[in-house]
Amino acid sequence: MSTVTLTINGRTVTVPKGTTVYHAARQLGVEIPIFCYHDRMPPLGACRMCFVQVEKMPRLQTSCTLEAQEGMVVWTESPTVVEARRAILEFLLINHPLDCPICDKGGECPLQDNTFKYGPGASRFVEPKRRFPKAVRLSPVLTLDRERCIMCWRCTRFGEVVAGDHALKGHDRGYRTHIDVPPVTQERPSKFIGNTIAICPVGALTSGVYRFRARPWDNRPVASVCNHCGVGCATWVDARGGEVVRVRAREKAEVNDIWLCDLGFFGYDYTQHPDRLTTPYVRERGVLREASWEEALDRVAHALGEAAPRVAALGGERLTVEEAYLLGRLFRSLGSNHVDARADARFTPSAREWAWGSGTFQALESAAVLVLVGCDLTEEYPVLWLRAKRALDRGLVGVAISPKRLEVEPYLKCSVLHDYGAEADVLYAAACLVGERAGGLPEPLREVDVDESCRRAGVDRAAVEELVRCLEAGPAVFAVGRLSWDGPHPERTLAALQTLQAVHGGQVWVLRGKGNAVGALLAGLVPDALPGLVALDDPQARARLHEVWGFAPPEEPGLSTPAMLEACAAGALRVLYVAGADPARDFPDGALWHRARAGLQLLVVTELFWTDTARQADVVLPALSIFEREGTVVNLEGRPQRVAPSRMGPPGARADGEILQVLAARLGRPMEYASVGAVWAELRRAAPQLDLDRPTELPRPRPQVEYRRPAAAGRQEEGLWVIPAAPLFRQGEMSARSRGLPELAGTPAVVLHAQDAAALGVDDGAEVELRAGDAVARVRAEVADRARPGHVLVPVGFSQLPRARWANPELRVRIRVLEGVSR
Amino acid sequence: MRNRNGWQRVVVEGAAILKGMAVTLRHLFRPPVTVQYPERRPRVAGRYKGRHWLTLYADGTERCVGCELCVIVCPSQAIYVKAAENTPERRVSRGERYAEEFQINMLRCIFCGFCEEACPTGAIVLGRDFELADYRREALIYTKSMLQEPYPGASGRDPNREV
Ligand code: SF4
Ligand code: SF4
Ligand code: SF4
Ligand code: SF4
Ligand code: FES
Repeated sequence: MSTVTLTINGRTVTVPKGTTVYHAARQLGVEIPIFCYHDRMPPLGACRMCFVQVEKMPRLQTSCTLEAQEGMVVWTESPTVVEARRAILEFLLINHPLDCPICDKGGECPLQDNTFKYGPGASRFVEPKRRFPKAVRLSPVLTLDRERCIMCWRCTRFGEVVAGDHALKGHDRGYRTHIDVPPVTQERPSKFIGNTIAICPVGALTSGVYRFRARPWDNRPVASVCNHCGVGCATWVDARGGEVVRVRAREKAEVNDIWLCDLGFFGYDYTQHPDRLTTPYVRERGVLREASWEEALDRVAHALGEAAPRVAALGGERLTVEEAYLLGRLFRSLGSNHVDARADARFTPSAREWAWGSGTFQALESAAVLVLVGCDLTEEYPVLWLRAKRALDRGLVGVAISPKRLEVEPYLKCSVLHDYGAEADVLYAAACLVGERAGGLPEPLREVDVDESCRRAGVDRAAVEELVRCLEAGPAVFAVGRLSWDGPHPERTLAALQTLQAVHGGQVWVLRGKGNAVGALLAGLVPDALPGLVALDDPQARARLHEVWGFAPPEEPGLSTPAMLEACAAGALRVLYVAGADPARDFPDGALWHRARAGLQLLVVTELFWTDTARQADVVLPALSIFEREGTVVNLEGRPQRVAPSRMGPPGARADGEILQVLAARLGRPMEYASVGAVWAELRRAAPQLDLDRPTELPRPRPQVEYRRPAAAGRQEEGLWVIPAAPLFRQGEMSARSRGLPELAGTPAVVLHAQDAAALGVDDGAEVELRAGDAVARVRAEVADRARPGHVLVPVGFSQLPRARWANPELRVRIRVLEGVSR
Repeated sequence: MRNRNGWQRVVVEGAAILKGMAVTLRHLFRPPVTVQYPERRPRVAGRYKGRHWLTLYADGTERCVGCELCVIVCPSQAIYVKAAENTPERRVSRGERYAEEFQINMLRCIFCGFCEEACPTGAIVLGRDFELADYRREALIYTKSMLQEPYPGASGRDPNREV
C-alpha cells in the first residue's frame, strides 16, 4: 500500500494514501473538532467545524473531506483556524435555543464541549431566533427538537448509509431546513432509530424513554450484553439508584460495532416493572396462592425426587450459560437426559448436527454471497443486518429465498419469492443449475426437474437462473432462518441446502434462537449431547464429567421438545421444569402443549412475569432478569460474553442458578460453587472450546448431495396459507413491559395479496375475522404485495394472535370481512 | 539577627509587649461581639449563606427546571434531583422540564453556595436562616416541599429578578 507523508503542526506523519487529514491528525493525537463527520459514514463536509489551514492552499480546508497529500503542511491551531472555529460556532449558535438546562444531551453534548473549548464566550446575535415547536414526538421513542438541530445530516445519513431504512429525512430548504420522518417511517417504525439519538451531536434527537430520567453524572454505567435476540450486542447499561434508566451501545468491532437495535436500546424498563414476580406461588386446590420460598422449594424438590428420572427441563434463552449448565447437571443427576433449550421449536434435529447458531459474523466480510433462506434478518437479528448491509456495500452479493418479501429487498441483488414451505424446491432447482454449469450433475440430482420444481415453488425459472448467476460470485453464507426452520418442511429444506452447499461451496448458518439459546445448547441443555455438544456416549467426556460431577450422565438420549411434550401428555414424564421460556405461548402447537400440561403431575416455572406458562404452573418461582445478575451469555456465533448486574432484583426474587443450587442440595445431589466464576470454570472443563469472547465452532453435518422428494401433496385445504411472521418489537412479556416498545409494535395487521383481497372483498385497512378450526381472531387487514397470492402474513406474538395458535406452519385460515366495522 | 545586649532587649521586647497590651486594652472598652444566643438573635450579614430556598417566579411557577447543575457542582454531593416533564395540563415550571423531587441533605451541605452560583435560573438561593439543628438525621434531609418558598418572594429575593 502506498503511503503519503505530511506535516501537521510541525510534526510529520505517514499515513496510507487516501487517508483524510482529519484521520492523519488523529493518528498524531491532534484533536480537530467535528460535527458532521462520523467515522462509520463517508465524509460530507456540511458543518465546517473541522477547518484546518494548509500551506499553499488559499482558503481554509475541511479536514474531514481533505485527502492527505505528500508533503502537505497543515496547521490546526493557527490564529486563522482558531478564529474560523469561533466564527463557525457563533454561527451554529445563532439559532440555537441555548436551553441546555432542559436538554437531555446536556453534560455529554459535543456542541457544549466544542463551544466550551473552541467557541466564543458570548454571542453578538441579539435578533429573535428561529422558532420551531419544541419536543416533537416523532415516534414513541424519539423526540425531536428542531431548534437545537445544527443540520449536520448525521441522522439522515445513518438511515441511508448504515441502516438503509431512510427513517429520517431533511425537509424544506435554507433557513427552514429541518429533519422529519418521511411517510415510510410513519407506516413502519425504524428498528435502528436509537442509533441516531446516539450519534446526533446535539440534543435535537433524544430518547423518549430516557427523557429527563437522569443526567450523565447520575448514571453508573455497567458493561453488559443485550440478551434479547441472539446477536449479543455489547452494551453499557446506565443505572441510577437501582433503576436502569438507559442502555447504550458499547463498541465491539466483532459483534455490533457501535450499534444496537431499538429492542436493545429501549427494551429495559421491564426489569423494574411493578408486574415483576416477587414471591413464589404454589397451586393449592386448583388455585395459585403465595407461598414462602421454603414451601415452594420443598414442593419442587419433593416432586423431583419422587418422580426422578421421569422429569424433564425446558428452556434456557433467558438463563446465563452457567445457569443452563447447572440446570442440565441437576437433571442429569436425577437420571434424566430430557433437557432441551429449544422450547419454542417443533423441529429439533440433533444439535450435534444442526446446532442453532452462525459462523463468525466477520465471515460476512470474506464471503462472496449471502443467501437468506427464509430469514427475515431485520425482524429477527437486526444488528446482524447492519453488518450485512456494510458487507453488501463493500461487494457482498445479497440473495433472498423467502416466502415473505423482506424489508431489505432493495439492497439484495436477487429475491426469490416462493410459496410457503417450498424453499427446498428453489434450492434444488438452483443446485441443479449450478451443477449443470459446473458440467456434471451429481447422480441424486438427475431426478430433479428444474421446471417442475419452479412450478411447485411458484417461482419463475428466470428468477432461479438469476439466483444462480448471483451465486457465481463465489462461496456463500447460507443463512437459514425462522421462516424455514419453523416452516412446513424444514428437514427437506436442510437437505436441499446441504445439496446446494455441496455443489456450490460455502457455510450454513442457522439463525434461530433468542437470547442465550445457543449458549444453553452449548452448556448441555440438549437431550442428545453433553456440555460442549459432545456425543452422549463419548467415553472420554463421560469420564471427565464423572470426575467433575461425581456421577456420569445417563446413557440413553433424552427427548427433544416435541417428543418431551408428547411424553408429558402420555404421563411418561411427571415433572416439567421450565426456566426462562414460555412454551404455553411460544410452542407452535398449542394443543400439544395443553395435553402435555394436563398429563403432568407438577409444572414448575421460574419467571419474571405472569406468562401463559406461569399461569398454568403448579409452582412459580420469581427469578432475576439479565440486568440483575452476573454470568456469561453466548450469542449466535457461540461467543461467550460477560453480563454484569446493574441493579438489585426485586426483593423476593432469586437468580435461577441459586434456585438450582438450593434444589440440588435438597435433593441430596449438592452442587456447590463459591461464585458464578467457579461454575464457569467447571463448565470450561466440560466444554473447553468455550472461550471468553471467542466464537465457538458449531457442529454442522458434512455437505452432501441428496434429493428428497417433496411430500405428497396433501388434501387441498381451503383458505389462505398462514405465514407466521414474528415482529421484532413483540417478542413476549418482557418487550410488552418496556416503555415505548408496545407502541412501536403498534396494532397487528395481517397482510393479504391484492388478488386474494379482491376475491374476498377486503379493502386495505378493513377489519377482518380470521378463522382456523376453533381459533378466531379479529384484526386489521392490509393489502400489499408482501407474499405470493394464496398466503396471508400473520404477525404472531400479539395477544390476539398467540404463536401457540397461529404459528402452526400447516395452518390455513378463512377470512371474512367484518361488516360495519370501520378502522 | 543583630546581637543585642541585655538592656537593649528589655527595651525592644518590652515595647512590643506594651504594644500588644494596648490593643487588648482598647478592646476592653469596646462593645462585645458575642451575642447571648438564643436569648438575643444575631444579625447576619447581607450575603450570609444559610438555609436554601427554591424560589418561584412572580406568577407562581417554579424557577427550578430540574437541570441538576446544582447536583453536579455540589462539592459535598448533598443534592438529589429527579426531573420530570411538564404537561399542558400541569405546568410546573417554564420550559419542558421541572424537578419532581428535590432533596438537600443539610447534614452534608457545607453552605458554600456553589449551587446558587451554578443555577441557570436562579432557582436555588441560600437564605439567611441558620437555625437548622434537629434531633433526627432524617429531619435534616430537606424535601422539595420544605425547600420551596411558600409564596413568590417569601425567601426575601425579588420574584421578578432575571436570574
Ligand atoms: S437532528 Fe441531530 S443528527 Fe440530525 S441533522 Fe440535526 S443535529 Fe444532525
Ligand atoms: S440486535 Fe439483538 S442483541 Fe443487538 S441490540 Fe438488537 S436485540 Fe439486542
Ligand atoms: S451550598 Fe454547597 S454544599 Fe450546600 S448544597 Fe449548595 S453546593 Fe452543596
Ligand atoms: S435548582 Fe437550579 S441548578 Fe438545581 S436543578 Fe433546579 S434549575 Fe437546575
Ligand atoms: S466535520 Fe468536517 S465539515 Fe463537518
